[in-house]
Amino acid sequence: MRPAMRPTMILLGLAITVVAAVTGVTRLFRMGMQQGYAPAQPIAFSHKLHAGDNKVPCLYCHYGARSSRHAGIPSSSVCMNCHGLLEKQTVEIERFKEAAQLDRPLMSWVKVHNLPDFVYFNHSRHVLSDVDCKNCHGDVANMQRIEQVMPLTMGWCLSCHREHAGVPTSTLDRAARRFSETPKPATGLDCASCHY
Amino acid sequence: MSDHCNGAKDKLVALGARRPPDYWKSPEELRKGASLRGEFPGGLPSPGRDDHGDPEGETTRRDFLTLMGFGVTAAGLAACRAPEQRAIPMAVATDEMVPGVANYYATTCGGCASACSLVVKQRDGRPIKIEGNAASALFGGATCATGQATVLSLYDNERLRGPLWHGSPAEWHEIDERVGAALAEAHARQAKIVLLSSTITSPSTREIIERWRHAFPSFRHVVYDPVSASALRTATAAAFGRAVIPHYAFDRARVIVGLDADFLGTWLSPVEFARQYARGRAPEGPPTLHVQFEPGMSITGSNADRRVAVPPSALGAVALALLARIARRANEPEVAAPPDPVDAKTLNSVADELWRHRGESLVVSGCNDVAIQLVVHTLNRLLGNVGRTLDLDRPSLQRMGDDAEMATLVEELARGEIHTLILHGVNPAYDYADPGGFLTGLSKVAFSISTADRRDETSAAVHAVCPDHHFLESWGDAEPVAGMLSLCQPIISPLFDTRAVAESLLRWLGEPSDPYGFLRDYWRTAVLPRQQAFRDFDAFWDQTLERGVLDLGAPAGATIADPGGADWRAAAATLRDESQRAASPGGDAHYELALFESVPLRDGRHANNPWLLELPDPITKMTWGNVALIAPSLATQLGLGDGDVVSLTTADGAIEIPVFQQPGQHPRTLSVALGYGRRQVGKAGNDVGKNAFPLTRLVRGARRTWASGVTLASTGRRDKLASTQSHFSMEGRPIVLETTRAEFGRAGDAEKLPNLWNERPQGERSWGMSIDLDSCTGCSACVVACQAENNVPVIGKDQVQRQRIMHWIRIDRYYRGSEDNPQSLHQPMMCQHCGHAPCETVCPVLATTTSSEGLNQQVYNRCIGTRYCANNCPYKVRRFNWYNYTQNPRFDFHMANPVGRLVLNPDVTVRSRGVMEKCSLCVQRIHAVKNAAVKRGEPMKDGEIKTACQQVCPTDAIVFGDLNDPKSRVAQRMQSERTYRVLDDLGTRPNVAYLKKVRHGQTT
Amino acid sequence: MDRLPDGVTEPRWIAGAPTLAQVTDDIARPMEGRPGKLWYALFAVAVLGLLDLLGMATYLIANGIGVWGLNNSVGWAFDITNFVFWIGIGHAGTLISAILLLFRQKWRTSINRSAEAMTIFAVMCAGLFPLLHMGRPWDAFFIFPYVPNQHGPLWVNFRSPLVWDVFAISTYFTISLVFWYLGLIPDLATLRDRAAGRIKKLVFGLFSLGWNGSHRTWARYEVVSLVLAGLATPLVLSVHSIVSMDFATSLLPGWHATIFPPYFVAGAIYSGFGMVLMLLIITRQSMNLQRYITIRHLDSMAKVLLLTGSLVSYAYATEFFSAWYGGNLYERYHFINRATGPYAFGFYLMVLCNVIAPQLFWWKRIRTSVGALFVVSILVNIGMWFERFIIIVVSLHRAFLPSGWGMFYPTLIDFGILIGSFGLFFTLFLLFIRYMPMIAIWEVKGVVTDQQHGGHGAHGAGDVHATPAALLTQAVNHAE
Repeated sequence: MRPAMRPTMILLGLAITVVAAVTGVTRLFRMGMQQGYAPAQPIAFSHKLHAGDNKVPCLYCHYGARSSRHAGIPSSSVCMNCHGLLEKQTVEIERFKEAAQLDRPLMSWVKVHNLPDFVYFNHSRHVLSDVDCKNCHGDVANMQRIEQVMPLTMGWCLSCHREHAGVPTSTLDRAARRFSETPKPATGLDCASCHY
Repeated sequence: MSDHCNGAKDKLVALGARRPPDYWKSPEELRKGASLRGEFPGGLPSPGRDDHGDPEGETTRRDFLTLMGFGVTAAGLAACRAPEQRAIPMAVATDEMVPGVANYYATTCGGCASACSLVVKQRDGRPIKIEGNAASALFGGATCATGQATVLSLYDNERLRGPLWHGSPAEWHEIDERVGAALAEAHARQAKIVLLSSTITSPSTREIIERWRHAFPSFRHVVYDPVSASALRTATAAAFGRAVIPHYAFDRARVIVGLDADFLGTWLSPVEFARQYARGRAPEGPPTLHVQFEPGMSITGSNADRRVAVPPSALGAVALALLARIARRANEPEVAAPPDPVDAKTLNSVADELWRHRGESLVVSGCNDVAIQLVVHTLNRLLGNVGRTLDLDRPSLQRMGDDAEMATLVEELARGEIHTLILHGVNPAYDYADPGGFLTGLSKVAFSISTADRRDETSAAVHAVCPDHHFLESWGDAEPVAGMLSLCQPIISPLFDTRAVAESLLRWLGEPSDPYGFLRDYWRTAVLPRQQAFRDFDAFWDQTLERGVLDLGAPAGATIADPGGADWRAAAATLRDESQRAASPGGDAHYELALFESVPLRDGRHANNPWLLELPDPITKMTWGNVALIAPSLATQLGLGDGDVVSLTTADGAIEIPVFQQPGQHPRTLSVALGYGRRQVGKAGNDVGKNAFPLTRLVRGARRTWASGVTLASTGRRDKLASTQSHFSMEGRPIVLETTRAEFGRAGDAEKLPNLWNERPQGERSWGMSIDLDSCTGCSACVVACQAENNVPVIGKDQVQRQRIMHWIRIDRYYRGSEDNPQSLHQPMMCQHCGHAPCETVCPVLATTTSSEGLNQQVYNRCIGTRYCANNCPYKVRRFNWYNYTQNPRFDFHMANPVGRLVLNPDVTVRSRGVMEKCSLCVQRIHAVKNAAVKRGEPMKDGEIKTACQQVCPTDAIVFGDLNDPKSRVAQRMQSERTYRVLDDLGTRPNVAYLKKVRHGQTT
Repeated sequence: MDRLPDGVTEPRWIAGAPTLAQVTDDIARPMEGRPGKLWYALFAVAVLGLLDLLGMATYLIANGIGVWGLNNSVGWAFDITNFVFWIGIGHAGTLISAILLLFRQKWRTSINRSAEAMTIFAVMCAGLFPLLHMGRPWDAFFIFPYVPNQHGPLWVNFRSPLVWDVFAISTYFTISLVFWYLGLIPDLATLRDRAAGRIKKLVFGLFSLGWNGSHRTWARYEVVSLVLAGLATPLVLSVHSIVSMDFATSLLPGWHATIFPPYFVAGAIYSGFGMVLMLLIITRQSMNLQRYITIRHLDSMAKVLLLTGSLVSYAYATEFFSAWYGGNLYERYHFINRATGPYAFGFYLMVLCNVIAPQLFWWKRIRTSVGALFVVSILVNIGMWFERFIIIVVSLHRAFLPSGWGMFYPTLIDFGILIGSFGLFFTLFLLFIRYMPMIAIWEVKGVVTDQQHGGHGAHGAGDVHATPAALLTQAVNHAE
């Protein structure tokens, strides 16, 4: 081949490899993230209608969030607290009634906000420390169908925990800080706060 | 439920596919006994598992990482999306159960007849952890290894799913009809009806049995304990006129003499005794002395100040020798004693000590021999201990078995005189001295019923099997010590189509058969009147049910006058003759065999419990099987090595079993643990070890668990033993430190060690633990407690042989001194949570780091399994998942089946293969208490957080807390001059410290 | 280049007086012709070994580390032993190609090519084990610092010697590869020009990067190789020093020793030369290149073995001395246990192979007998493998708490993977000597011409196959 061609070919090869590498790696880092996940539910339940238009407080139905690790999906009986009094009945609500009477769970909802099995997230701890539901679940009051708006990755959790612990959120700042002073330990940043 | 899964890691993938599990049970439903039948498989929540890269598990997002690791291209990754997870809400919400929040219910342990009071942790309808009930005056929040493991027996996949008729599944009503018919016939023909049961501590059940007596004049109740205290009761009857078992108070005794009584391990009520023992021997308190005479090393002997190895045949002689000396001092007529079985100096000094501490000493004997017990009673009487260190007014009701009656029953069976036989909680076809004889007799019974929860050796041979509830499924009560009652309530609705024995018995009587109703009525009529605090029954009931225990005080008018001695001289004479015969053995059959209950398996009723099978024996550290313990001297003399199979032949039969050299073993005596060698108990327990029960025999109306004139022959075969500790000497290293009462009190060696590290920035809290080596008896309850709390897998005999035991806490046992009679040291060893942890610097991925609160935290999902940390850990407490031990058919223990998995703790990740794990100081419990504190808006209190090992400990050896809080118990213990840290000179700065063992030795 | 006094002729490193063309033919022949039976036989065996490796590794990853004989006490055994062993092997290559180049050792010319190839293959084998020994190899990427990531970002532990290994070994591999390739370029050009088929021409053409052997090319070439040599030299010392820190930085008696870095480097060069010696003997027999790989080559390598072997023996002695002199309870016990414990046999085998065997090389008769050299070279490799085994297993199996003492019994899988790694190594090496110039043609030519012209300066500059030795001097002068 002619000498003149060689550099261009080499450059081209390099370019291709670099692009491939970058895209591949970025894909890897996004792996397992489910931002934007919004599955259809067996019942066309609208959070917009309940939490938005009718201003039902989140913790009325998801009362578990105050006392438990799990926010919990309200049981049919909770739905009946209101729907039992309401005139307007849809087929689906009838099914709820029946379920509540028979004490049989009705249908299985599709979970939207899933954390990996090795993460122990505790709702009550956050709710009791006045973390707004919005911070993690987004503006549910305006969602017809629930969607995961936040990345729910460890980095994302930590950014908030770091703010509260007064630790810089950017890697570089932290690195710089490490040399200047020894950061004071913060419980919220311990691995064992969520992994055990 | 859904969010339960979210955190509690259900395999909801699977769940969504199958029918929704309906497992929320309000207490009402518990009472109604709504059943889970057919709905649990795969359905019920299985807790946290880190599926990360677990080829066996269902496909999860994490498996994509797995594949990627193997080089799947980015194209494949585009499709990387979690499988749809499903969630099913409760149909009807209840206040009592919020998914993810644990409830605690008081109940009573059914693991053995000691009937310890419990508080059981219930999570989403499943009991997952046994805890002791601190409200109990007897047991004070402690339990034993067996008790801890009973929760796993509840989820034993091999329990019967329903009643059987002639071995095939049947309906309850069919069975009831047949039973009814049989009873009617027997009643008409005045034929004998017998209920053969183990000790029944439940007063209400005893009441039902009373009603049977009235309903059927030909009815008889025979109580049979495989390992009984029959002789003790008979002797008490003879000496004090009441056939009871004295209630001992070891804490009031400054001199304790044990004659082969393993009261810290298995005898009568070990948890209670261990508590008393530790309380009475606190180094701060007055000096005490404990002398133990025993053939083989028991944990009681290993804790004694002086231990004398004697052959079982000489125990009587020892008792007599002591009695003779005491009688002389008490100016009683001379007792003709045989020549001293052990050197006179020891006996004299023991006698002196006993005599000096008249009224605050105690002699106990575990020998099931009326004569010996009579002599021991006399000793205590002459020492004035009656009413002080042993209480006859409030006797123990924990061992009611009567060997003689059982023998009579077997004869009647052989003669075919029994028409109907009801077997409850017994398994004579396995543990009777003559199983064959019993079975032939059983075959002659017109109608036989067993309430066994499985097809075991006995229930396989009966007409009807009416499986009883597990005690965690049933209502009941117990009275371990006269006047000390405790209630038993269901923590889960029955898993299978079983039925409480109380209900069956009532139904067969034709009475209203609601056990809950009956229990309430009984308490209303029989218990309410005996207390003053309450007038209104419902209030009384609710209170007691919540509290779990009730102390009614001494039964009125029970006080017994000291009859001043039954004819114990006759007994003494018999003993004298016997011991003289035994002293001069003839021929080569001059060995003796001592059979004992082992701490892990006791009498063998829990032989299918993997936790207990894999629990190292506190002394031998042996798992998965029993061995013949032999003195090292004898072994070398006979050229036997560990694992060499020998055959031991007694007058009653022979047994082929591998030998294991046990320091401190009497040179002429071999010891074999009972409770092993079950044939029909289940996958895990079948044919593990050898059954030694057939080598027992009836002597003087009591079952003798030893034999003399034993021949020993090597078979030339060799078995592989699964011991968890291979080296028993400390090699002169400073590992377990000791001090004597003389030294104790002087300042300890608190030299500040140089340190090249920067000091860690001090966090808000600093968790630490202090372990008192002086009060630790080595009972190993903590090992099982930890296993239950932290989802520690069972790995099986083969893996244990490969030295891969997974226990997070182990109890190292070292010997000092001569092999013939060494001093033993027990040292609980778990992650020391070093301030400067060697494991942390070497982990390439920061999977193990120190938390801001001083915990050494292991992050499973970050771990890649280089094992560098384990190599660099000087304490060797890190455990690696060599295989996928969960849901793996190769390790078919509880985690491999959907029922067994129900026991797993949802708050602890189940580790996948290839990751390192270790003690976390129960960080999940720390979080639970922290959350509770946040909820109630006030700081947590010291002692509120109890680690699993601390909670279970009968002797309060373990204390956990915040070292930053100078008022905390742990911080104060750290101030003790006994405090030291293991391998401190390595500069690891452990947060776990030990208190030196104190050698007592003398009382003056 | 130092001049020799008159009358004294330079030692001859090439038997006979082949013409330059002859040299090219001799060395290129194996690649163009069919290899001998011996090669096929060896290759068949090697491939079997490779298959064994594949099978065993698959089984291992499918089932878990449990298939090895490791346990709670002994967390590393064959895996890391093999790793250190192979890394050690590599060192000879770099030493020969880099350091000897700087020292102008002419005798390296006929052996450096294959030595460098050996280095690369050895490092490949070594790199296998850190991956295989992981509990979760699919997460191996955790040990690379990657950022930004969704973890927060999560970093690696820069305090951990295992992370240092990652850097050390990847650097080592890259440099060695580049150096080796650079050395190949002129020969590839030669082959390109000799190549018959179009494809061959194209391939060689591509990889020879259009080498035209002009004066300027040569000059630059020599500078670059000098620079690379300079880069590679410290690696000879650094890589194994860092590997040794896996042990030295821990606190285990038997690992925790400051002597480790130099001790490991000496050991590495020792084992490396053992391996080179073995390979060269195989090569010259199977490819009958006796002319270029002369007895004198073997002889001088034997001398290196004698030196490094003695260094290693000294290190052994020092370890025992410091254990005794230091008086640390655990340290002392460890060395007593090393010599008298259950693994004592391994210790004495190691002493036999690493301390006694090389001492035979004091006698020229042994240094010059191919058979003897071959046997000893194999002993050396066995000995060095056992050295690592002793250091790792004996230290682990009886550490601080006697309650944690145990034994390591290897399983079939352990052996299978060990053998398999040799399979991989020899497969690669045999392919190399089959399809590549396993002797640096252009360098040998330099030596040949030197021999023929009493080592005088430049000749036939401009001739494509000019002697670089001369140009080298010029280049150096330029550079200064």
